Formats: sequence, structure tokens, C-alpha cells
Amino acid sequence: MTNVRVTIDGQEVLVPAGSTVLEAARLAGIKISTLCDHPAIEPIGACRVCLVEIEKQRVLQPACTFPVSEGMVVHTNSERVQESRRFVLQLLFSERNHFCMFCQMSGSCELQSLAYENGLDHWEFDRAFTKFSVDASRKYFAMDHNRCILCRRCIRACDELVGNGTLGLKNRGANTIIIADLDVPFGESSCVSCGTCLQICPTGALMDRASAYMGAKNEITRVKSRCMACSVGCGVELVVRDNRVIRVEGDWEAAPNKGLLCEIGRFHPLHEERHRLRKPLVRREGILVEATWEEALRAAAQGLKAAGQEVCTVASGFVTNEEAAALQALPGAKALMGSAPVAGDGSCLGVLDEADVYIMVNTDLAKDHQVAGFAIKRSVRHRGARLVVLSDQPTKMDDWAIARWTLAEADRAVRLAAEAQMPAIIYTPEGAALAETLAAQLPRAKRVALAPLGNALGLAQAGISQGFDGQKAAAYVVVAGEAPAMPAPLASALDKADFVVAQASYREPWDQVADVLLPMPTTFEKSGTMVNTEGHAYALSAAVKVTLPSVQEMAAQLGSLL
Amino acid sequence: MFEPVLLKRASLPRSETIEVYMANGGYQALPKALEMKPAELIDLVKRSKLRGRGGAGFPTGLKWGFMTPENVTKYLCVNTDEGEPGTFKDRELVEKDPHQIIEGAIIAAYAVGAQRAFVYIRGEFFLGVKRWIKAIADAYARGFLGKNILGTSYSLDMSVHRGAGAYICGEETAMIESLEGKRGEPRLKPPYPAQIGYLRQPTLVHNVETLANVPHIVNRGAEWYASIGTEQSTGPKVFCVSGHVFRRGVYELPMGTPLHEIIYTHAGGVPGGKKVKAVIPGGASTPLLTGDELDVTMDFESLAAVGSALGTGAIIVMDEDTCIVDVARRTARFFAHESCGRCTPCRVGTQQAVRLLERIEAGEGDSRLIDQLVDLVDGMAGKTFCPMGDALVAALRGTFKFMEEFHAHVALKRCPLGLPYQEGAPIREKAPGASTHAAA
Repeated sequence: MTNVRVTIDGQEVLVPAGSTVLEAARLAGIKISTLCDHPAIEPIGACRVCLVEIEKQRVLQPACTFPVSEGMVVHTNSERVQESRRFVLQLLFSERNHFCMFCQMSGSCELQSLAYENGLDHWEFDRAFTKFSVDASRKYFAMDHNRCILCRRCIRACDELVGNGTLGLKNRGANTIIIADLDVPFGESSCVSCGTCLQICPTGALMDRASAYMGAKNEITRVKSRCMACSVGCGVELVVRDNRVIRVEGDWEAAPNKGLLCEIGRFHPLHEERHRLRKPLVRREGILVEATWEEALRAAAQGLKAAGQEVCTVASGFVTNEEAAALQALPGAKALMGSAPVAGDGSCLGVLDEADVYIMVNTDLAKDHQVAGFAIKRSVRHRGARLVVLSDQPTKMDDWAIARWTLAEADRAVRLAAEAQMPAIIYTPEGAALAETLAAQLPRAKRVALAPLGNALGLAQAGISQGFDGQKAAAYVVVAGEAPAMPAPLASALDKADFVVAQASYREPWDQVADVLLPMPTTFEKSGTMVNTEGHAYALSAAVKVTLPSVQEMAAQLGSLL
Repeated sequence: MFEPVLLKRASLPRSETIEVYMANGGYQALPKALEMKPAELIDLVKRSKLRGRGGAGFPTGLKWGFMTPENVTKYLCVNTDEGEPGTFKDRELVEKDPHQIIEGAIIAAYAVGAQRAFVYIRGEFFLGVKRWIKAIADAYARGFLGKNILGTSYSLDMSVHRGAGAYICGEETAMIESLEGKRGEPRLKPPYPAQIGYLRQPTLVHNVETLANVPHIVNRGAEWYASIGTEQSTGPKVFCVSGHVFRRGVYELPMGTPLHEIIYTHAGGVPGGKKVKAVIPGGASTPLLTGDELDVTMDFESLAAVGSALGTGAIIVMDEDTCIVDVARRTARFFAHESCGRCTPCRVGTQQAVRLLERIEAGEGDSRLIDQLVDLVDGMAGKTFCPMGDALVAALRGTFKFMEEFHAHVALKRCPLGLPYQEGAPIREKAPGASTHAAA
């Protein structure tokens, strides 16, 4: 690619041809104020905050969309530019209700920051705002149209990144308003509650329920970590105040999710309704009662000793590599709380943004591995890629698919994909056998195998590679973390067991089966590493300090007692 | 005496039918054009110096020349989304002589190699839609449209698409968005539609009147065409005259006809012997001229020289009893109502302009409101995403020629002409015979 030389505020910089003025300025380390622009989505030049002076141009031009050319001279902060910026901001502030002191985003709002930066200390124009409604029909966040500046970031994020296309506009001019689908309440729309719009909104128009009024920019810290809810292993930024996570955001810089999260990763941890387990519980006369850590461990050791070598340790996907290694101190077999992961062909999730035909085999990426599903949705929406769902049950991806065929009709998918440049077969262990058969007939196909549990590959590397399919044992040690439910084979096995020790972050559902129930830190509360479905090792950082004993301590102490 | 070209057939009975069109010289240019090479046609139109009649006056031949890529799907859009206040020429051309436009469109499509033509018509043109559809069906039946037109290897399909009532869809990129089934909003330019248009393919967008000129250029030659009008603005122009004149209507006259001649000779002058106070020369988005500027000739250059524009050639005459602040407010209301809402300066700026003008006209506040209005207009200038915001800027700056009237409003706390501030007041004067007049 050729480079062009541009001068920005007197600084000469060499940038790739085809860059925008804004991109060039970023390369030169010069900040241009923006509002409707966001690096993750396509610029549309709507807000006009980024207007800059370009020599030989009659009028100011938007930096976010204007392409650079050889010898261009740009002034990003001339008096004319400053005046223009103040004018646009004055207009924005006059349009709707922007009384910041009542807004939960005060302190973190991009519009407000721009006003401070540009010295807006009064309203130049009449505040002619009409009242708009507040749509609070969604579980996790609300939309206050009165704070909306119509930058359309939410619409573009929903469309370009998530591929869901739920958001749009109705009316025009002063009456323009963001709508969902064909103007239904957001809570009744096709929204999948991934919260990307919430994260990308520059003002307080989209408002998170859990963290509303919980802390402005200067009161919070951000900790980069990973989500362990599935094996995509999304990068997250944990927003922390007073040793508490108040919000989970996607990390724009992290692979493979690039800022996206799903409902499970973003909202479930903060809307957890189960009881947090903070003290060990021991079952006495059929009832779980509080005990000290030593008492509980002794009780656990006693029960396990009775079972001898017939102990099976079951680890959930929320167990880190370090925790998994420590579990080797325990006697008996080790197993995963789910199926064993299957190997694909080493394809990264990036394949999902390149393929032209997708075959989703016996899984539903709108339920699990949702962020991988978003990649397929946006490819279908914007790159003209085609999706075929192979499943005997309807899936939530069916709306994006050209067809759903039963597993028995797999040969139809092969015929369709035969012409494709890069077919991608996406599957979990449940569809592995069929996926192999398909791949054998499609030489160009990429196989993307999704591991069934968050850290399944990390656990496998630590020696826990057996899937749990009802292995018989007299006693079980279940290391559950935040695992939301008991898989059926495990439930029936635990039911029949003589003795069950569980270490979990929440009481439910383990209080139904455990004889000894030990507390365990959540993903937010521990450091360590995990391996995602692509085989990349990612670091977890503790955002919150807790005094709960770790899995390592449990394993070491319990091991020594046995 | 100038003989009408575009409206020649308009006064004939059943002029919209293919029979009348063909009996009066219609579809004679098409076979000639199809015998020519596309490059020859483009050269012919270039030599005729035909310029777009939709408002911007871009040289037509040059636009055709931009549609260069070979072997790709190309499209033609016939812009019948006539929405500029004061403009009603395209409606006349479509309702009275649709085949003239179809013939021009086929020739234009052939010259640029388009295989598909869309007629984007304003939804309220009920009769126009009917006549377009009938005319297209008749043209298909006679082999002027469809596969292998007149036995040549050239094929063209044409269909009608109705707009849903947005002024902005008259802007070419917004029209293309609308055609694609999206929200009618302008696209970023460049790239221009000639490079990336409908479905990302090269697309030629032309105003109805522009295309209506094309068959005549093919029939009678570029030299004949260029001999009409002025050096740079050639050919006949259809003017729409409305407001305070006796004979409001559509007049076809050569480019460069003096404005006073149109008002006094053709439109019969101002009722009641009143003086002309102001004239909007080219539709609501062109700055108005004062009554002292009627000597200007109606062509692209002369109007630009006096700080206005030919626009669509929609002449709105206002007599001495017109309140210019009211004119400004109504104009601002129109643009606020039609703003698509995409960019801040247009979406909010137009709202604020309306509000300030309402307060000035109602006699609220003091002269600071006027300063604020001027600042607002200066602020909006050149900042909007598409030319619509600048159109209001131009229109309001025109009304500022009557600045003393704005000041009189705030000083007297009422209209100096004694006109009541009335929301949506009807146009007061009734004049006889508001219908079509081809200049006789």
C-alpha cells in the first residue's frame, strides 16, 4: 500500500493512502474531538463535531470520513475549527434534555466531556426540547430518548458488529428517534441483550440498570480480564468501584471478541439471583449448617477416605489452569463437567469473518458461544455469506440461515458448500462425528470446533481431559465455580453417590447434593490463566479482593488430610 | 418569437398518449440515437451544452462521460421527486408529455450503457404515476422498451417507484438509498452515483426536464440547441411562476430571458398594480432577489452573479404587502420539517431557526434574537452533511436583504405591515387563471 504525506497542525506524517484525516491524526498522536465516530464501526460523518480545516477546501470537512491526499494540510484546532465545534455542541445541548446533574453518565459522558473541553458554560440557544419517552422494557438496561444525540452508534453496532439489526430510526428531523424492529418496545424486540449498544452509547441515553449512578469515570477502576462462561474466552473490562464489580464491558482491543460480549458474559454475573456462598457448609442430620474451614475440610476428608480410591473429581469450565493443576493433589479420577473437547483443524475464530458458507452442526450459536454466532450473523448480513443449520430442533440462528436441514439431510449441506471458496463447519462435541464426515467431503472446508466449557482446553492441558458421562464413584469432589446448572449425567451420578464435596461460588444447585459445600472465588475474584477454544492462553486478573480460600488451598489441604 | 420545444405538445388534447406523441414527432430521435455510437451521443450532448435542470446545473454530457466502466451493470434514475417549494415543471412534463421523457431516458441509458431505468416519482403525483405507468406499458408494447429495442442489440427495462413523501429523496444519493429500500438519507459524496450508485453500481441520475431535452438535441442537432439561450446556459427552460402575479403557471422560455419579462409580459404582472417586493428565482432554496433586481436574466451565470441561483427555475413573486419575516419563517419551517435528522447542524439548526423566527415574527424579545439568528445561519453554513442545510442558509441570507423588516418586528412587537402572526396562514391574494401557459 502506498503512503501519502500529510501535514496536521504543522506535523508531517506519513499515512497509508485511503486513510481518513481522523486516522491520520491518530497516527500522528493528534487528538481530534469526535462524537458519532467510534473506531469499531464505520464512520458516517453525522454529528459534525470533528469538522477540521483542510487547506484548499472551501468549507470545513469531517475528519472521520474525509480521505487524505498527498500534500494535504490540516488544521485541527484553528479558531475556525474551535468555533465550529462549539457551535455544533451548542446545538446538541439545545436539542434534548441534557441536564447533566440528573444523568447517571455525568462524569463519563462523551458529550459532557466535549462541552468541558470546549468551554461551553452557557446555553446559546433556546432549550426547545420536546419530551420523549423512556423505554424501560428491557431487563438489563433502559433507553432514555431525551439523552439521545442521534449519533447512531447503537444502530451501527447492532448492525455491523452484532449483525442483529434490531435498532433503527423512525421519523425524521427533530422527531427522529431510535426504535427497535418496527417500533416495538425494546423488551419485546428481536434484541438479544448483548449490550453492545449500551457500551458504545456516548451519553446516558442507554443506561445500565445494575451500574446506574454507581460511579463516574474518576471513581472507578478498570481491570482487564476474561469471561469464562464459554470457550470463546472474550476479553472483558471489569468496572470496579469500592472493591465491587459494577459493570462488565467488552474489551475493544481484545481478540477474539473485539469489544463484543453476550448477555451471559455481560449481564448474568451482575444479575445473579443465587445465594453467594461465603462460609463452608457441612451436612449434619440432613441439613447444611455453617462450619469453619477446618471443620468442613475434616468432614470432607473423612467422607472421601471412606470411599478410598473410588473418588472422582469433576471440574467445571470456570476452573483456571492453575486451579486445575492443583486438583492433581486429589486422589482418584478427574473429569470435566461436560463432554470432552474435540479438536478442529486449528482454525481460529477469525475464520468466521472470512468464510462464505457456514454449516452449523447440531449446536445453536445463539445460545452458546454467542459471540462466535455474532460473527456469522454479521457475515450473513454484510458479506453475503450463507448459513446452513444442521439440527433436528429449531435454533435461534434459523432466521439468519438459508435453510435448516435435519442431521440426516447433511448431504444437502455438502452439495451447497461444494462450490464455496471457504466453507466453515462449526460444531461442538455433539456434532463432531457428523462434522468430520462433512469435512471429508469438502476439501476447502475449515473446521471450527468449539470447546464445550469455558476453560475446557486449559483443563485438558492440566490433565483433566475426560468428559463426564456418568463415571461411577463412591464419592465426588465437584469444583463448580459459577457453573449455573448441573448437567444431567452429573446430577444422576451425584444423586447415587455416597459422599459429595462441592466447591462453588453459589449455593444453588449444589446445596441439593453436597455433603460438604465449600466457598470458591468467582472469575472476578481470581487471577490465573485460561485457554480458549482456539488454544490461546489468556490471563485473568482479580478485580475484587476476597478472603475466600482458593481451589489451590482446598486441594492442597484436602490432599494432605487424605 | 420563441417557439416552445418541451411544452410544444402539452396543449394538444390527449397529449400524454403515445399516439399523439408519435403523430407529433415523437420517437423519431430514438432510432437515430441507436444508430450512433454511445461516444458520439455523449459528444453531441456535450456540444449542446445541456445542463442539468434539477437545480445544480451540472453539464449533462460531462456526467454521462463519468459513467465510463465497461461491462458492469449500470442504472439510470429518472428523478421525478419534484419537491422544491414553488416548482411544478416536472409534474407538467410528466402529466402532459411522458413519452418525451421516456425517449430521452432511453437515449441517455443507451449512451451510458445502462440496462435498467427507474422512475423515482413523488408519491403525491397520483396522475403522474398513472401516466408514467401507462406510458411505459405503451412504450414496451411498441418495442421502445424491453429486449432488443427497435431490433437493435440494446435492451432496457424501466419501472416506476413511488416516493413516500420526503423532500430529501429528491437528492440523488438519498433517492438511491430509498430505491434500495432504505431510509431516505443522503450518502457521503464522493463517491458520486456515477461511480457507486444503486446497489453500488454506476448510476446516472437525471431530472425529468433534463431528459426531456435529449430527444430534441438528437433530432435537431447540438448547434441548434446551443443557439437557444446564452453562451453558457443553453436551451429552453421551463419556468414555474407562482405568487403575486396574474397568470401563475408553467412557461417555457429560452435560458436568459429577463426576469421582469417573465413576470410582467408572460405572467401578466402583479395584481392591483402593486410593486414587486421580492422574487425567489429558483425555488425555496435559492436566495431571494429584491424588486430592484428584476433586470437579471434567468440563466445559471447571471443569477450566480447576483448572489442567487437558477435552481429549478421556480419563480415566486412577492408583492409589497408580503412580510419577509413570514417568508423566512415559512421557509425555515419547510426545511425543519424536511430535515432527515442525520447531521446536527441541519437537524437542530433548522429547528432553532424556526423557533427564533417565530419569536421575531410574533414580536417577542429584542434585537438580540436577530443577532442570534444571523449567528445561527452563519454557523450552519458549510457544516451540514448534504446541501439541504446550506439551502436554508442561502434562503435565509436572502431574506436578510430586508433586515430592517426584522428589526421593525422586534421594535414594534408586531409586523410593520400590520399582518397578523398566523400559523399556517393561507396565501392571501386570489388571481384568475392559475393554470398552464405555454408562452404564446
